[in-house]
Amino acid sequence: MLGLEDPGVLAAYLLSIGGTILCVVYGLLKWNSDE
Amino acid sequence: MDFFALIIVVLLYLLITIYLGWLGFKHTKSARDYYIAGGEVNPYLMAMGYGAAFISTSAIVGFGGAAGVHGLSLLWLTAFNIIVGIFIAFVFIGRRTRAMGRTLGAQTFPELMGMRYDSAFIRKFSAIVITVAMPLYAAAVMIGGARFMEMALYINFNVALLIVAFIVGAYVLAGGMKGVLYTGAFQGTLMLIVMISLLIFTYVTLGGVTQAHASLAEMSHLVPEFLVEDGHRGWASMPELFSPNWWFVMSTLVMGVGIGVLAQPQLAVRYMTVKSDRELNRALVAGGIFILAMTGVGFLVGALSNVYFYDTTGEISLFASVSPTTGEPNTDTIIPLFITSTMPIWVSYIFMLTLLSAAMSTLSGQFHAIATSVSYDLYRGEKADDQARLRLGRYGTIFGLIVTILLSYVLPGSIIAIATAIFFGLCAASFMPMYLLGLFWRRVTPTGAKVGMVSGTILYLFIMFFIYTQMTTIFRLSELIFGKTSLLGFPLNIIDPLVYALPFSLVVTIVVSLVTKKTIDEEHVQNCFSFVKKKVKRFN
Repeated sequence: MLGLEDPGVLAAYLLSIGGTILCVVYGLLKWNSDE
Repeated sequence: MDFFALIIVVLLYLLITIYLGWLGFKHTKSARDYYIAGGEVNPYLMAMGYGAAFISTSAIVGFGGAAGVHGLSLLWLTAFNIIVGIFIAFVFIGRRTRAMGRTLGAQTFPELMGMRYDSAFIRKFSAIVITVAMPLYAAAVMIGGARFMEMALYINFNVALLIVAFIVGAYVLAGGMKGVLYTGAFQGTLMLIVMISLLIFTYVTLGGVTQAHASLAEMSHLVPEFLVEDGHRGWASMPELFSPNWWFVMSTLVMGVGIGVLAQPQLAVRYMTVKSDRELNRALVAGGIFILAMTGVGFLVGALSNVYFYDTTGEISLFASVSPTTGEPNTDTIIPLFITSTMPIWVSYIFMLTLLSAAMSTLSGQFHAIATSVSYDLYRGEKADDQARLRLGRYGTIFGLIVTILLSYVLPGSIIAIATAIFFGLCAASFMPMYLLGLFWRRVTPTGAKVGMVSGTILYLFIMFFIYTQMTTIFRLSELIFGKTSLLGFPLNIIDPLVYALPFSLVVTIVVSLVTKKTIDEEHVQNCFSFVKKKVKRFN
């Protein structure tokens, strides 16, 4: 996948993107929340 | 060097920076403005300021260069930076820090800790650790900026260092936290645009995402023998599990910075600059994207530079970075070299300014932390009036600046990543148990916090000076006193101090807290956690 065969490296690559999506989605969902 | 392009780019950049610094100066009317920007900063400014203070030349040049040697395994640091350094930090740690800081009226990290535990010792000890260790990290950042300037402008490294120091000193002195935040947000935005462009450019040059990665994977047979012996298995693979290379990458570079970020005094203070949790939630959006664009791109480009250098010069990045003067590789030059050799000259200038921005915003956050430690936490600040404290903050910055410049001249090459890891690791071992337990656990006692903090600091420093060869060879204290690079043999000499010192400090803090009596009155603890009570009431 994506030319990355090592599962450790691929996991880090995907986790980095997944982590960013988590931050963006959480931030947008809680945009007006003060908790 | 194209003087016309350089002058236009530099002038534009300086004009904007000076204007923003002036704006900060104009709006800095009290010590509260200087320390935490009045406590009412909007989320974009906060996220960009936090990001620009967190990510610097150290991450892009230093760790990007390290990725040029160790490969894509460094992407674990990006994952940690985003998930731990942004998500966990903002959602779980930032809220409580902000709320407790506000309740107690704390303006600096040492003051927050000192107030939480009602202990002048904790406040002063934290301030001393910051004052003594921060210049090492600041020097790493300053070297990163100066290295790029040296290569892009073909000027002497020492001259470049002085220029960086002068510009940073000028606007931190002028604006305090407001100046830091305004310029940080501008620099953060500039960095974001440039790094995304760099990623696209690199992938396009190397034939697309999949092709670029595959080309890197095919180069594993080119890894130098001394790295293969240490467990390096190619730039697109993880190092061999528990090999010296694995321990260095995972324990020092990834865990040191990836976890240590939670206990960074200059970042913790940023939570206290926003008005409410809403700003922290909003800051997550820009923060997550920013860190991915900085570290993710920096490490990818660092590793992929091997493909480019091999295709064009027949050498891998490590050997392409050999200094003509010393004959030794200097990994701190891999990223500057890649950019100056691949990009048009005017793009190199913009990139240089971007990196200098990264360096300056981090440095200003660092000097701000040193300044407040010296003038506010170590000095009997409560006796001084507002204006006197403001003046002392500026003296503290000058002190930090001078120590950092002196250190930058004496540190060896390939130092940026490891010096950063040392500061992050030391902060984690010293502050993290006391800080995080202090936010979440009412039962932790001042004695537990003190013993945990001091023992964590001592253990980290002992291993750094006498056991861990990656660090003992920098300081040479072990060699000087005992005639050998490490007092212990394999595998203990290849494991980062953080791996021992953080759990040790955590266990000590918990155990000592459980066996000691509370010496601060219950009312004070209730007051520290008043934000929790308010939340429960709302649900009821």
